[in-house]
Amino acid sequence: MKNKRSFFQKLILYTAILSIAAPVIVLLLWSFASRWAWPRLLPAGFSLRAFEELFGPHSPVMPVLLSSMGISLGVAVLSAAIGTFTARAIALYDFWGKELVSFGGILPIIVPGTAFAMGIHVVFIRLGLADTVLGVMLVHIIYALPYTVNIMLDVTRSVGDTHEVQSRVLGVSPSRTFIHVSLPQLMPGIMSSISMAYIISFSQYFLTLMIGGGSVKTFAVMMVPFIQSGDRTISSAYSLLFLASTAAVFIMIEALIKRFAFWRDKTE
Amino acid sequence: MARLYGKVSSALGNNHIMRKLEPYVLLLPFMLLGLLFFLGIGNALLQSLGYIPALGLSELTLSYYREILQKPALLDSVKVSLAIALVSSVLATVLGVLLCAAMVHTGIAGGWRLQAIKLPILVPHMVVALFAVTFMSQNGLLARTLYQLGLLGSQGDFPQLLYDQNNAGIIIAYLWKEIPFVAYFVLALMSSVSSTLGEAAENLGASRLRTFFHITLPLSMPAVKKAFLIIFAFAFGAYELPFLLGATLPKALPVQAYVEYVNPDLRHRPYAMAMNSIMLLLTLAISAVYYWLLRKDFKGTGGGRYEK
Amino acid sequence: MELSLQNLSVAISGNEILKSISLTVREGEFVSLLGASGCGKSTLLKAIAGIIPQSEGSVIIGGKSADMLPTHRRGTVIVFQDFRLFPHMSAAENIGFPLKMRGAARSEYAKTALELLEKVQLKGFENRMPHEMSGGQIQRVALARALAASPNVLLLDEPFSSLDVNLRQDMRSLVIRLQREFEITTVLVTHDRHEALTMSDRIALMADGSILQYDTPEKIFQSPASRQVAEYLGDASYLEGFVKDGIFKSGIVEFPSDKPNGLYQAMLRPSMVRIAPKGDKSFRIAELSYQGESYSALLEHLETGAKIRTLIQSPCPYRLEDKVALSIDTDKAILFPANK
Repeated sequence: MKNKRSFFQKLILYTAILSIAAPVIVLLLWSFASRWAWPRLLPAGFSLRAFEELFGPHSPVMPVLLSSMGISLGVAVLSAAIGTFTARAIALYDFWGKELVSFGGILPIIVPGTAFAMGIHVVFIRLGLADTVLGVMLVHIIYALPYTVNIMLDVTRSVGDTHEVQSRVLGVSPSRTFIHVSLPQLMPGIMSSISMAYIISFSQYFLTLMIGGGSVKTFAVMMVPFIQSGDRTISSAYSLLFLASTAAVFIMIEALIKRFAFWRDKTE
Repeated sequence: MARLYGKVSSALGNNHIMRKLEPYVLLLPFMLLGLLFFLGIGNALLQSLGYIPALGLSELTLSYYREILQKPALLDSVKVSLAIALVSSVLATVLGVLLCAAMVHTGIAGGWRLQAIKLPILVPHMVVALFAVTFMSQNGLLARTLYQLGLLGSQGDFPQLLYDQNNAGIIIAYLWKEIPFVAYFVLALMSSVSSTLGEAAENLGASRLRTFFHITLPLSMPAVKKAFLIIFAFAFGAYELPFLLGATLPKALPVQAYVEYVNPDLRHRPYAMAMNSIMLLLTLAISAVYYWLLRKDFKGTGGGRYEK
Repeated sequence: MELSLQNLSVAISGNEILKSISLTVREGEFVSLLGASGCGKSTLLKAIAGIIPQSEGSVIIGGKSADMLPTHRRGTVIVFQDFRLFPHMSAAENIGFPLKMRGAARSEYAKTALELLEKVQLKGFENRMPHEMSGGQIQRVALARALAASPNVLLLDEPFSSLDVNLRQDMRSLVIRLQREFEITTVLVTHDRHEALTMSDRIALMADGSILQYDTPEKIFQSPASRQVAEYLGDASYLEGFVKDGIFKSGIVEFPSDKPNGLYQAMLRPSMVRIAPKGDKSFRIAELSYQGESYSALLEHLETGAKIRTLIQSPCPYRLEDKVALSIDTDKAILFPANK
C-alpha cells in the first residue's frame, strides 16, 4: 500500500518535471534545426543559421540584449533596496497606516497589467517620463515591489533586531550598525529579491511596449514579432538566448547567496 | 544616505519624535511609487467616466460602461477573459496542490528536482506562447506524434486548440506556468504542516490519505487561496497570451482594451478605460472577498506560515 | 563611572513597569538587581541603556545626564541572555568590532581581541565562528566583546541562566575577576539569590517595579526590611508571639526586644536552628529530604504545631517521626509585625 502510494506520487512528480523539460528541449532542437517539416518528430537537418543571424555583424541583438540586462539589473537592485527599507518599516516599527501599507503593497499583483499601464501612460506623458528608460524602469519597479517587499518581510522578521540592539549598546551608531550587522544577515533575502525582480523586469512585454513606446527597446519587446512571424527557428533561437542569459544571471546570484549565507545553514 | 540620516538623528538627540518619524522616512520611496500607481489607476477610472479635458470631455458619465455592457461583442470579451481566468486558475490550483503534495511526500527538499520545478519562473509568457505553438498547433509535435502513432489521419484532423474560441491553447499555456507556481508557493507551508502535524496524525493512526485531506490540506489553505487569487488576477488581466494565441473574435478584455486605446480616433479612449476599469473593479472585488476569507484563516491558524 | 537613577519611571502601553526608581551604583561597584520574573529588572536595564524610553526621571552617568544621549553614546554595554554574537563574524572579529567601529587600526583591534580572548581563557579561538562554539565559549566571547567596548557601565541581563549548572560557577568567577581587574561599574540582573549573594557588593531587591531594599548581601540577609525580602533570600520559618514590656514571648522561645508592644512573628533562618543533644524533646521530625551534603528537615512543635526548618549534615542519624530537642539562636531573629 505504501509502495503503491509512493509510486503514484513519484509518477506525478516526474510527469511534471518531464512536462517542464520537454518544451525546453524542443526549443533547443528548433533553434538548431535547418528543416523540420510535418510529420517528422526530429529535425531533418541542423544548422547555425539562426545564431549567425542573431550574432551577425549587423544584428541589433547583442546591444539590445545587453542594454535590457542592464535595465533589468538596475530595476532589480532598486526594487530590492526599496523592498528592504519598506519591509524594515513594516516589520520593525509600529505606525499608523501599517495595515494600509501592507494591503497596498500587493495591489500591483492584483490589478490587471493593462489597466495600470494604460492609466499611467497619460500620467507619464504629462510628467515627461513616457518613452524614456527611467519611465520604463519606474513601472517595472512598481511591478516588482510586491514581490521584493514580501521576500524581505520574511527575512527581516526572521533576522529581527536583537543584533542591532546589541551593536548599539556596544557603541556603534545606527547607520553603521545597519551596514555592518544587519545588511550581511539580510543578504540572502536581498539576493533572492534581486533575482525575482530581475526576471519580472526582463520578462515584461506589454508594460515596456506601452510606456517605452518605440524608443525604449528591450529584448522581450524585440522578440515578440519574431514569435508572431511563424519562423520557428529564429523565434526559438531568440527564446533560447533569453533563457540562457536569464539562467546565467540567476546562477551568478545563487552563487553569491551561497557565499553570503554559509553560516545560516549551520545555525538554523 | 543611511549615514546622513544617522548623523542627523544623533545630532537631534535621542528624541522620541525622531523615532516616530523613522518608519515614514523608510517608507518614502514606497509611498512615492504608490502615489504614481494610484495616479495611474485614478486616471484610468476618470477617463472611463468620460473625463478627458484634452478632448473637451469634462462631464462624468456612465454611458461608456452602459454601451460596453450592452454591446454583445464587448460583453463576449468579458466572458472570454473570465472563462480563461477561471478555468486555468481552478485547474492550476488543484493540480498544483497535487504536485505540491507529491513533492512533500516524496521528501524533495532541494536539489535538481526542485530547481526543475522552479524553471517555469524563468520562462516569460511569450516563450510559453511559442511552446504552445510548437506543441499544440495543427502542425505541432502533439499532432505529429498522434499521426506517427496512427491515431491521426491528417493535419486538419487535429483539433484547433490555438487561435480558436475555445481558448484551450491559452488555458494550457497558463497551466504550464501556473501549476509549478502554485506548487512552489504552497510548498513551504505544506511541508512544515506535514512534518509536524501530519506526522503527529499518522502517529495517532490516521492513514496517509486521511491525514492529507483532514489535516495537511486544510491547514495549507491560506497559501492555496493566496496562490489562487494571484494566478486568477493575473490570468484575467494579462495581455501576452491572449494576444499571441487568441482568436480574432472575441478578443480577451486586455487585448480589446488595447485595440480601443491605440485607435487613432481618441474618442475611443474612454471605451478602453471603461474596459480596464471593469477588469480593475472585478479583481478588486475578488481580492476584497479573498481578504475577508483570509482574515478568518489568520484567526484560526496564525496565517501564512505555521509556527508553534 | 558612577551610575545614578533618579525617580526613574517607565510605562509601556499604559502599564507602569518601573515606579520611580532611585538608585546609585558607585564607580567600580558590582550591584545585583534581584527579583522574580516580571518585577521589572530587565526593563530597568534597558532603560539605563536607553533602549526603552523613560516616562519620568533621569539616568545619570559619570555625573552627567544621559537622558538626551542615544543608546550608542551612553557607554552602557549590555551582555544579553542570548549572547547575540554576530553570526557572520569570527570570535576575534566579534570582539574587535566595537573598536573597529571607533576607527581603531586593524593591527590595534586585532591585538586587543587576542588579549581579551586570552583573558577569557579562549586562546586559539580567534577564527572560530559562533556556530562552531559551545554555550560557555559563546558567553566568554560575548563578555570579551563587552569589555572591548570599554563600557562606562557593564550591564548583564541574566547571562548565566542559559548555561549548564556546572558551568555557571566558573563563569561567575570569571566575571568577578574581570570586573575587579578592569574596575568596571557593573549591574547584574538575576532571579537567582545565590548568584546575587555570592557576587555582589550590594543587592537591590525588586518587586513590582520598585526596589524593596538596597544594601550589602549580609545586611539584606540578616536584616531584611520585610517578609517579602526575607523570603526571597532564603528559607524562613516563623514563630507566632507577642512583645510585652520589652520581651518577645512565643510558646517556644523568649528573648528581649526593643519593639513596641503587639503581636509579632519571629523569623528564623535554618542556620539559627540546631538539633540539640540534650533538652526537652518537644519537636517531631515531620519531613526529611536528602539534598546531598545535608538533609532538609521540617520540625513540628508537638504542643503548638509551629513548624521550623533546619539543615542536618549528612549522614543523618534521625528518621521521620523521631522526637528531638532544638537549640535556637535568637540573637539574629528578626521580628515582623504579625500578618493581618
